Amino acid sequence: MQYMLMIYEDERIYGPDKGGAAMREIVPRHMAFGKELGSKRLAGGGLASTTAATTVRTIAGKQTIHDGPFAETREQLGGYYVIDAPDLDAAIAIARKVPVMKDGSIEIRPVLVPPPAMAG
Amino acid sequence: MTPSALESAVRAAGARIVAALAARFRNLDLAEEAFADACARAARDWPQGGAPDNPAGWLYRTAERRAFDALRARKTRERFAPDAPEPAPSAEDLLMDDNVLIPDERLRLIFVCCHPAVAVEARAALTLRLVCGLSTIEIARAFLITEAALSQRLVRAKRKIAQAGVPFEVPGPDAWAERLDAVLTTLEVAYAKAHEDAAGAGAHAGYAEEMLGLTRVLADLLPTEPEPLAFAALVRYAEARRPARLDARGAMNPLSDQDPALWRRPLIAEADALFDRALATKAPAPRVTQAAIHRAWCARQSLAEPPPWRRILALYDELLSHGDDIVVRLNRAVALAEVEGVAAALAEVDALNSPALQQFLPYHALRADLFRRAGRTLDACAAYEAALALGPALAERAWLQARRDALGQSGRENET
Repeated sequence: MQYMLMIYEDERIYGPDKGGAAMREIVPRHMAFGKELGSKRLAGGGLASTTAATTVRTIAGKQTIHDGPFAETREQLGGYYVIDAPDLDAAIAIARKVPVMKDGSIEIRPVLVPPPAMAG
Repeated sequence: MTPSALESAVRAAGARIVAALAARFRNLDLAEEAFADACARAARDWPQGGAPDNPAGWLYRTAERRAFDALRARKTRERFAPDAPEPAPSAEDLLMDDNVLIPDERLRLIFVCCHPAVAVEARAALTLRLVCGLSTIEIARAFLITEAALSQRLVRAKRKIAQAGVPFEVPGPDAWAERLDAVLTTLEVAYAKAHEDAAGAGAHAGYAEEMLGLTRVLADLLPTEPEPLAFAALVRYAEARRPARLDARGAMNPLSDQDPALWRRPLIAEADALFDRALATKAPAPRVTQAAIHRAWCARQSLAEPPPWRRILALYDELLSHGDDIVVRLNRAVALAEVEGVAAALAEVDALNSPALQQFLPYHALRADLFRRAGRTLDACAAYEAALALGPALAERAWLQARRDALGQSGRENET
């Protein structure tokens, strides 16, 4: 199965524009983690802070553009991995090892696969 | 009227059949539907053609074929990746002992139902439904929610298991500390529901029996783990005392007043054997200490023998050494009152000032009893009222009311 691991942390810890000392510390840890994952890592990346976020919202067929993230939360989505794992327990074992600076949450979500009829 | 061959087979082997199908097809809904389908066929065919020699084996093989048919119909068979090729039903199968024919996959299923990724409030219900085979109406009654709400909870939990890819495997020993704890906590919740009503009325009676079976399965399959052994012992000690939990008028009978002659000795002997195995692992664990407390009570042979309060107090101290817990402190205070006196116990209970305790019936019941013994009649009366206001079950209510009423009489005597 494919799972997306979404990394939620308080982005302020990484400084304005994610340029702080914490960022210089965490990046090599992510590099090492990615290397350790090897072929189990299908994709992944870090995101600029929510100050860089823009949201396109569709309500009743009408689209509007907004400054900022979809929702204001205490911890923000700051990066992700897409991994290949046989089951949830394997995905949890990988999620436990995702580097975080201090407090944080890794949300594990299965990636939907199209049913065979659609895939063909 | 004697139960039909179908009813007997479902009662004896239904849960094992569903567990075996669920483990084989890694799909809870498919297992339940296929089993229901096999039962419907049996209900139609057996009354005319006669029941097969091995009804459980017939149900298992028929349900297995139904599951394959259903998968084929959905044209998604390859996605489910069953363990082995489709079985060819044979005459020999139906002569085989069900215990050989139907693999016991209940342990795998318990770990699925109690996976930490499953909502906490759904785990116990899911385990009772899939592993014990209780009906949704029985479970809904035990958890005091509507059948519709319970069904929705079960549907959501099963969908989560399927979508998130919860594995149908017993986790490796390195993960047991966390996973086994989730399983035991779930079973404790399930058992507390069966145990809390002293009268054991309605759905609870049969369900407590299921807990005996389930804890035995867990203890047998993890024979070197102390906590499943200790929990299996604890459930047996507690069930052994059930015949003495009510007095002649149907009021709750506190443990120290229960006549040990009424306790079920064979069940206590079974519990002792399990407990000894837990102790033999030489791994201290809170559930082993909890079972030791029950064991100390069940060692009492008659009302003439003094209650083992000193031993109980020492065991509660040991339990607190595993981790501080306000309910354990409350129980310890009951023993403390007997060993060191009411004043010491009252001081201890007064020190436990937590807002959560205000909603906890045993807290008020204990304070009422301590005040009564200290001669503080007005305080005792208020505490009994506070306990009764929390809406206890019938047997507990009758006991609390009798205590409060006796207090009124003795209070008046003291005044005159």
